[in-house]
Amino acid sequence: MAPPADSSQPRFAAGCRWGTQGEERVVLFPEGMIRVQGTGQKILELCDGGRTVQEIVKALSATYSGGSPSRIREDVGSFLEALQQKRIVDY
Amino acid sequence: MIPNPLALIAEITHRCPLHCVYCSNPLQLAGTEAEISTEDWVRVFQQAHDLGILHLHLTGGEPLARADLKELIQAAHDAGLYTNLITSGMGLPEARLASLVDAGLDHIQLSFQDSRDEHANWIAGTKAHAHKVVLSEVIRRFPVAFTVNLVVHRQNLDHLEEMIAFAEQLKPDRLEIAHAQYYGWALKNRDTLMPSREQLENCLRIVESAQARLSGRMRIDCVVPDYYARYPKACMGGWGRRLLLIDPAGQALPCHAAGVIPGMSFDNVRQHSLEWIWRESPAFQRFRGEQWMPEPCRSCERRAEDFGGCRCQAFLLTGDASATDPVCTLAPTHHLVETARENGAPSEAKLSWSYRTNP
Repeated sequence: MAPPADSSQPRFAAGCRWGTQGEERVVLFPEGMIRVQGTGQKILELCDGGRTVQEIVKALSATYSGGSPSRIREDVGSFLEALQQKRIVDY
Repeated sequence: MIPNPLALIAEITHRCPLHCVYCSNPLQLAGTEAEISTEDWVRVFQQAHDLGILHLHLTGGEPLARADLKELIQAAHDAGLYTNLITSGMGLPEARLASLVDAGLDHIQLSFQDSRDEHANWIAGTKAHAHKVVLSEVIRRFPVAFTVNLVVHRQNLDHLEEMIAFAEQLKPDRLEIAHAQYYGWALKNRDTLMPSREQLENCLRIVESAQARLSGRMRIDCVVPDYYARYPKACMGGWGRRLLLIDPAGQALPCHAAGVIPGMSFDNVRQHSLEWIWRESPAFQRFRGEQWMPEPCRSCERRAEDFGGCRCQAFLLTGDASATDPVCTLAPTHHLVETARENGAPSEAKLSWSYRTNP
């Protein structure tokens, strides 16, 4: 699988979803869970299957005015690709 | 401080339309009349969430044999649990599947006995294979995670590549290649199921190359069977450390096979809260920590990794539940495992199966 394109519309893979453990938000999937915090959580919350990667980067750039859009694009791409490899995200 | 459990294994019934020769259920199966009620399970699921449990594995027997499965899934989902249905798929017409998904089912784990129809039915003791193939296509149309589970052993490992190719066509997210583990019915059939070392080495090579080829499309999980490992498995992540199992009658066990250990009594969710069972009950305390350990475990640097292996296996093979798991190469009784490996039977022993019965 290739990294996500600008026009990709990332979403949780089938059977992956948010859950809670105490106060913490976690991602649940078959046989496991991951804690995602900070930017990772922010990215995943934007992955609704409708927004494109380009739109997600734009939304993040508005929040994190310090980071350059190309750097954010790079981070979003590698983050989503890693989760796709784990079958947690599809795009 | 006792950590909270991560997952609850709910063996909701022992009834099953299949008779698999490697079934992990106990030889003494609980009948329908012994099964706890819907309300009991609903209460347990809420308590499980309160105890910090995230994953619920609904298993059996065949969980579909319970008419209230939809209510159980709904209750578990409402309690915040991630629900996994471990099933043969027998008794799952599309409308029922739709209702289970609607109730909040997250993941289906469908078991296959083989890639070959006749062979699969021979292992299951019934004609189930063709039905499962059809069901797989239906499952893929629903928004649930899909795992194919394939139990491997001496009688099918020679065509493992064919089985992986078969699983690939079913398009699951994940393939679990599970070596038969020798408890319950599998222990009765051990000589016929025991792979040769050559089969095992081929298996590891085949799995590794399939994992590389299918990366990102289908995840493949496979672990070395403990009879061929150098050190024992951390059974259930350690006694009373990560998992608890409730049997159809409501007894809480630290391990699937714990009922075989003499002198143990298991508290019931009808009388006690899950939290009390986890933190206080004698059964869960019995092999927690390191006090019970004999040598060579007690001074072993791996004791916090594998916890001395499986207590049930230690009992089943040595007669002493406190012994070092004999699969460990350091165990004084390791020769028992060496002998069992050598006793792996040639194919003409096929006719001596003990099929799992029904309660």
